[in-house]
Amino acid sequence: MPHNIYLPNLARVIYTKDEVPGERAIRTFHLEPMNGGWFDHQCGQCAMLSVFGRGEALISIASSPLVKGYKQFSIMRVGRVSSAFHDLAMGDVVGIRGPYGNSFPIDDWRGKNLYFIGGGCGLAPIWPLITTAVAQRADFKNITVFYGGRTSRDIMYRAELEKLRGSVDVHLSIDKAEEGWDGYCGFVPAAVMDKDPNPNNAIAITCGPPIMIKFVIQNLNKLGFKDEHIYTTIENKMKCGLGKCGRCNVGKDYVCVKGPVYSWAELKYLPEEY
Amino acid sequence: MEKILDKKRLGDWVDALADYEVLAPAWEEDAWGYQPVNGPIRLDHPNTKQSPKRLAFPQREVFFTFEQIKGEAPRLTQTLPEAPRHAVFGVRPCDGRGVPRMDQVFNDYVEDVYYNTRRKNVAYVGLACNKPPNANCFCLSVGGSPVSTDGLDVQMTDLGDRYFVKAVTETGKALMTAAAGVFAEPSAADKKQLKDMHAAAVAYPQRAVNDPDGAPAKLKANFKSPLWDELARACIGCGICTFLCPTCHCFDINDEVQSKAPLKGQRVRTWDNCQFPDFTMHSSGHNPREGTGARLRQRVSHKFQYFHENFGMHQCTGCGRCITECPVGIDIIHVVNKVAANAA
Repeated sequence: MPHNIYLPNLARVIYTKDEVPGERAIRTFHLEPMNGGWFDHQCGQCAMLSVFGRGEALISIASSPLVKGYKQFSIMRVGRVSSAFHDLAMGDVVGIRGPYGNSFPIDDWRGKNLYFIGGGCGLAPIWPLITTAVAQRADFKNITVFYGGRTSRDIMYRAELEKLRGSVDVHLSIDKAEEGWDGYCGFVPAAVMDKDPNPNNAIAITCGPPIMIKFVIQNLNKLGFKDEHIYTTIENKMKCGLGKCGRCNVGKDYVCVKGPVYSWAELKYLPEEY
Repeated sequence: MEKILDKKRLGDWVDALADYEVLAPAWEEDAWGYQPVNGPIRLDHPNTKQSPKRLAFPQREVFFTFEQIKGEAPRLTQTLPEAPRHAVFGVRPCDGRGVPRMDQVFNDYVEDVYYNTRRKNVAYVGLACNKPPNANCFCLSVGGSPVSTDGLDVQMTDLGDRYFVKAVTETGKALMTAAAGVFAEPSAADKKQLKDMHAAAVAYPQRAVNDPDGAPAKLKANFKSPLWDELARACIGCGICTFLCPTCHCFDINDEVQSKAPLKGQRVRTWDNCQFPDFTMHSSGHNPREGTGARLRQRVSHKFQYFHENFGMHQCTGCGRCITECPVGIDIIHVVNKVAANAA
């Protein structure tokens, strides 16, 4: 029988952590595939996750391809399926199929300086890149992470980010000043300008709310970053993940197949339908 | 394989197709639709209200069922379709041309096993249009023809008291061979009449998309044109245009729950519609195609630009259903012509 692309494998929740509290809470999960349902993935790819009885949603894989045995997902509580994930307990079983989409061309970036620029939940899709680059630290020159949350309580992966310091320049920011905060106060695009990153032999990778991405790219261009050296990852509502259900297209491209990773040199010529 | 079939013997051919469930257009309540043949069969319909796409891509189908006792792993049971073999008669050339377009979508990149399982069991027996059956037919301007055999297994042409029947595929040959006794060999006069009928059919005036080859570039250049909002102002988002379209393939996937404890339900695919606001709405509330203008642009550009850019053919086959059935008179021919004529 041909492979049934819509039938998910089963995976067990083996770890959960509340990253961010509140109305738009973010929770991290480690899912361990059952019944030999493991698949390898590349940095930037996604998986279709399901809670049976609630439905499916496409979520970025947040763990490095180097991590074997489980896959990490960090999910914001916004919709029907993401809320169902927040209601799960350890040991619960969910559905997973994938991997979907293209990936970041990390192998082309060895020997370069990397700037990661994330905002809000947008750290998760670039986290596999950051952790892979750190695991292969000698292959890259300077690695810098800019990451901002609305408030200090909205900073996800806080402990992991602190652990990166030493081998990676980490610049955290929050939108408005708070007592006890010694990082940057202001929006992420301004936080980037504040450190004046050097575009020579550098790649910038950004993910976050669409408005943040827009101004980050404008600022990177101002700093002299070429369009082909700026990467982002976009998302649209998806149902199949396989270029058939017809809703995630940006112009002629289905984001689930041709994306989610684009260089700005490619994305700037596509219609703004994301 | 080319044969002549006396109209009085059409029923005998259908009877000989014992391995198939035979469908043909029938008038039911207020519309022509494909119905199982029980009794006399006539092929004098204009076109059916719905295209035959549902035979390979039904409006609703179950992917799998799930059962889960709390704390235990769910049991998934896939429900691949047990598709009966269908022979569908009276398929108009525009709907025939919809078939390879659907095949393209459901086999591009990876195979859709649900579609293919059904699709390989459907034989399409076409009926050429001696003249356009509908005032909004425009097959000629989108690369088709009233006598196109694209996507069909058999082409029948009405020659008055008899049909000229031509096998297009091996499946078509098998359908004809199954009832070899009911056919006669075509005479030179039959062949001449067929040629004349087809020539007349192609010459019959139709509405037209003015510059179909130029449409992809023109639509692309007009992506940001205010024309889209203007042309879509009357749209009520009912989606009839896409539901009736022989090539619209968009779908939704949802879980239907029959019982909560123990959990019992099924994952279901249903047709979906790019004219609905929540089709593209993110769970954050952000919608990349916020207004009716953006959604009309998506439907028209998918047909006349994106599909062409991806697969080298227009996704519209010119059946005219979306024009005829639109409750507010949105007319895809007018839209393409108007936008394409706009200097972007």
